[in-house]
Amino acid sequence: MAANDSGLKLGTTLYSMTPAFHGREYTFEQLVRKVAAEGIGPGLEVVGFQSIKGFPTITDEYADWFKGLIAETGLTLSCLGINADLRIDPDKPMSDDESVEYHARQLEAAAKLGFPLVRYQYPAGPDVIGRLAPLAEKLGVKMGLEIHAPHHPNHPDVIAFREMYERVGSPMLGFIPDFGATARAVPPSFFDAQRANGVPEDLITLAQEFWVEEGEPYQRRDRYIAAARARGFQDRHIMSLVIIFGLFSRAAPESWAEIMHQVIHIHGKFFDFDENGDEIAVDYARVLPVFVEGGYDGFMSSEYEGHMWTDADGFDKIRRHHAMARRILEGVAA
Amino acid sequence: MMEHRVVSDNGLASSPEGCVIDIRLPWYRSLPLSVVQIDEVQIDGEVIDKDKVTFELEGERMPLSELRPKTGTVWYVLDSAFLHIDGIDVAKGSEHEVAVTVSFRPPYIAGLNRIVKTTKTLSAN
Repeated sequence: MAANDSGLKLGTTLYSMTPAFHGREYTFEQLVRKVAAEGIGPGLEVVGFQSIKGFPTITDEYADWFKGLIAETGLTLSCLGINADLRIDPDKPMSDDESVEYHARQLEAAAKLGFPLVRYQYPAGPDVIGRLAPLAEKLGVKMGLEIHAPHHPNHPDVIAFREMYERVGSPMLGFIPDFGATARAVPPSFFDAQRANGVPEDLITLAQEFWVEEGEPYQRRDRYIAAARARGFQDRHIMSLVIIFGLFSRAAPESWAEIMHQVIHIHGKFFDFDENGDEIAVDYARVLPVFVEGGYDGFMSSEYEGHMWTDADGFDKIRRHHAMARRILEGVAA
Repeated sequence: MMEHRVVSDNGLASSPEGCVIDIRLPWYRSLPLSVVQIDEVQIDGEVIDKDKVTFELEGERMPLSELRPKTGTVWYVLDSAFLHIDGIDVAKGSEHEVAVTVSFRPPYIAGLNRIVKTTKTLSAN
């Protein structure tokens, strides 16, 4: 299944098929079997709180069934998405001790299911993750911080984890780049969905002007809101566009090279393709060579997220994403 | 896209007390009830008094105000919950416009309060 001679292997996260799963069109088992049948593995990523009822409690019976299913399909478990649910009580965030315990249960679930690594989220904080390193070593499960827009490798929040990694020095701690952080454009289908909801074209143009400016994303978001209000646009239209400042950032794709030695998994975030089969929002021809040349060895999960605003077929999207990735990787190898 | 997913297709039924609406969590993953709120229920344009509405998940029924303390009860993303509406009678086979607004605070995203409203015209079962 290797698309090339590099260590970058392809795969799928079932998060890409959220509408089909949520709509009860496919069960978890049917999704797994279809990923195998369509040849959009071999890597398989799962979000614990999406795919598994009762997560992170994993019964022996479920673990046996799960591992049997994966073995039968020939897929390779790449990553389990875990969550930093610090605000289960919205008025009283978890203490560090409670958060360590909450994350530990999810790490143990990953080990029991046979995952080699987990994706964790930055609200966990460096101290909690540092305390979990011995457990990760004992279980043989690596922990990767997802670097998701508006973060990037040199964002202060990420630097705090890089410094902790330096201090702790555990081989189990790493990073998971999400390519939405190094985007070149807002996906056209996002704006199409907003137009369909009546958002005026002039407002979309205004939001894009602020999106391409230099500077910290949330400051640009606030300047966009102020400018749009000054021009008299309706607040509900204004607010429907603000997520572009959090979902897609414009850090340089080359910035991943700095942390390459600690990259343990990739979220190949994507949305829309042009007539040549290239992704419009993320410049894969620029970002993938950074990983090949950096000697990355691991999986890239194709992570379609256009389902936040359309119900387009996730399987079709992933087939295209894999075809594009293979073409680019073969070009890099040649 | 979650805007059409709060009220289930074919999700209205008459009941001895009034009627029942089948609803879903409009998010990609399961969440504890403590971060979920039922903000508004409308039937045929009329806002239903919250005292007339109870929430049922996995056989347990509770007033809407009782979701907030339920930090240990998780609404699995594939499961329906049911809103029981007292005193609003719908005849089997009659059509009604049903609108439900759910809001939730994903516990891993500080400050986000996601509000999703679904309106559907349904024939009562």
